[in-house]
Amino acid sequence: MASTAPSLTLPPSQFARLQPHAYLLAHLSPPASSNQPSIRANGRAPSQFRTTYANTGSLTHTNGSAVVRVGDTTAVCGVRAEILPTDDIASWSVSHSSSSNTNKRRKIIKSENEEEEEEEEEEEEDPNEESHIQDLNLLVPNLSLSTGCAPGFIPGAPPSALAQSLSHQILNLLHTTRLVRAEDLRVWYQPPSLGGEELERHNAEEQMDVDVDEAARKDGEVKAFWVLYIDIMIVSMAGNPFDAAWAAVLAALRDTKLPRAWWDVDNEMVVCSDVVGEARKLTLRGLPVASSFAVFEADAAAGWRAVIVPDAEEERLIEEGDRKGIQRRWVLADPDGYEEGLSQERACVVVDKVRGKTVIVKMEKNGGWALDGKELKGLVDVSERRWEEVKTILEQC
Amino acid sequence: MTDRRRINGPPSGTRPAVFASSLKSASGISTGRPQRERQPNELRKLFLKTGLIPSASGSAYLEFEPSASLAAARSSPQSLIPPSSALKLACTVHGPKPLPRSASFSPNLVLTTHVKYAPFAARQRKGHIRDASERDLGVHLETALRGVIVAERWPKSGLDITITILEAEDDRWWGDAPDSHDAPWGMMNVLAGCITAASAAIADARIDCLDLVAGGVAAIVSDETAEGETSSPKLMLDTDPAEHKSILSACAVAYMPSRDEITEIWLKGDHSKASLGTDDKNLGHEALIDGAVNAARGAHTVLAEAVKESAERFAGLMLGGNAA
Repeated sequence: MASTAPSLTLPPSQFARLQPHAYLLAHLSPPASSNQPSIRANGRAPSQFRTTYANTGSLTHTNGSAVVRVGDTTAVCGVRAEILPTDDIASWSVSHSSSSNTNKRRKIIKSENEEEEEEEEEEEEDPNEESHIQDLNLLVPNLSLSTGCAPGFIPGAPPSALAQSLSHQILNLLHTTRLVRAEDLRVWYQPPSLGGEELERHNAEEQMDVDVDEAARKDGEVKAFWVLYIDIMIVSMAGNPFDAAWAAVLAALRDTKLPRAWWDVDNEMVVCSDVVGEARKLTLRGLPVASSFAVFEADAAAGWRAVIVPDAEEERLIEEGDRKGIQRRWVLADPDGYEEGLSQERACVVVDKVRGKTVIVKMEKNGGWALDGKELKGLVDVSERRWEEVKTILEQC
Repeated sequence: MTDRRRINGPPSGTRPAVFASSLKSASGISTGRPQRERQPNELRKLFLKTGLIPSASGSAYLEFEPSASLAAARSSPQSLIPPSSALKLACTVHGPKPLPRSASFSPNLVLTTHVKYAPFAARQRKGHIRDASERDLGVHLETALRGVIVAERWPKSGLDITITILEAEDDRWWGDAPDSHDAPWGMMNVLAGCITAASAAIADARIDCLDLVAGGVAAIVSDETAEGETSSPKLMLDTDPAEHKSILSACAVAYMPSRDEITEIWLKGDHSKASLGTDDKNLGHEALIDGAVNAARGAHTVLAEAVKESAERFAGLMLGGNAA
């Protein structure tokens, strides 16, 4: 009797490895008789995210840095700012002369009806100036997975397809959200007016002042740009790297301080001040927060079938199941590595809240047809709650 | 040729920020050099924790205590230029795992070490591809560990050790001219940290070792006295290169305390000129190696604690697994 017992019982950890799909399914749809709630194998409710920690400013050699730990996935992000002199930009003199004219004109218009545009100004600010960030590659995010974070990634090898795609997703999100203001990255120079000596001295003082008002700016000249190298190291990988990486980027950018910089005429170079009080923080536009989801299907074969059109029979079964109160499909928030391996369909929603209004910044879903408009709406609601959560975490650190 | 697999910055390249204070005359800034406030034989504190990366078979995270100047700069920042930096690194061990089919037969465990600086780890931005110094560190680490692991217990298997350096030690004080120190002294400290962390990670992966190997650094330095002259050379343990005007010679060792064996020695610099006082009859390099071994003994006590913690966690896991 005792000898047969071990062969029949498996510890949960082994069962999870041998029959991962059945294991997760058994957790999500426990037999009605057991009276247990439907819960994921990792103990979370379907729409529950992992505990998130964030810490900023711990790396010495960065302008801003952050460590974000979402469950067991850890991302370290460091932001380094370097100078790009406009003399080094091949097409600068051509493109600049045209853009500065329009800029001046716009500034004049703005000053005329400044009162009523006060509110709008923030939104309206320079559509073509903003493209500087994109045109000149002022934001350079790179994500590295070859840190030994998971057994699959060979250290020293060129970035895997996943790492490349994550880097590009982050770059695109930085551009589309217009998170960083181009104005923060410019280094201005006021040419001294050719008046008396006293005037010149006055001007020299003023050119050091970064916070010269907008009106004085219009005859200034952009001498250089700050380029932000945003490097993300995924130190530990346990599923859903994008949310962690993006949160780390966000936290690091919020932490980033750029030194006061000016054009030094004598040395013909951009020089920075190392006084902490003079450094400025970046003023970011909003706080977009990413939430990822995975869809787990009760039918293990659903992922294998290479059908483009939804299988009518299958859909009918699921609908029937819904009516009977049997769930056949679960949308899991913030999937861990184990759940990611068991689901084909992914969704990612990036939301921001502007004056209490929720704005969808990015929405992406791929790999299946289970999520329809109604369910995506539900995901936006979940992401909204996640936004509040992440906001408090980022504000505390 | 640009790297098409990564996002590249502006094609013309960028320049690191130049601070106005560093453009001034050298005499103006020489007062800012951080001072060592520890005794010559006093080590910096270590933070070492295992098992932070669950997807690896073994992992460790190591951090050096920030030196007094850096701690002061953190709490009440005066300047944007950090006075020195403190080592931070993460180490993962994957394996033992079967060697790929294409690999030739090996009766022993095949050890692969890989050390990479994060791009933001050092004062100068590092590239994404390993450079010669990182490969050199990897080779040193491999020799240090190969003597410790009982390799014949895992024939036809491989073990990958990956170290990501999040923050490296400085090679010299930032105010010094780049050529005033002839060698990258910070690498010695990095190597010692790598050895200690890798040792903890290997123990965390439960791979049989002869002993816990620990890394230590000692250096012969001649400091500036108050009058601005260089004093007679002194032996210091666990040196932070930013704190010393001139390091004559430095040595990093990997040391196994219970067997009293050294698996790796890396000694750099000219120690022949250093006369360490009249009472010290030792030759320069012997004193250096002894100093480094003493530093390694200090690191070993922290290492033993961290490994004990790892073993307790593992025992708890086994117990929990059986009970369930």
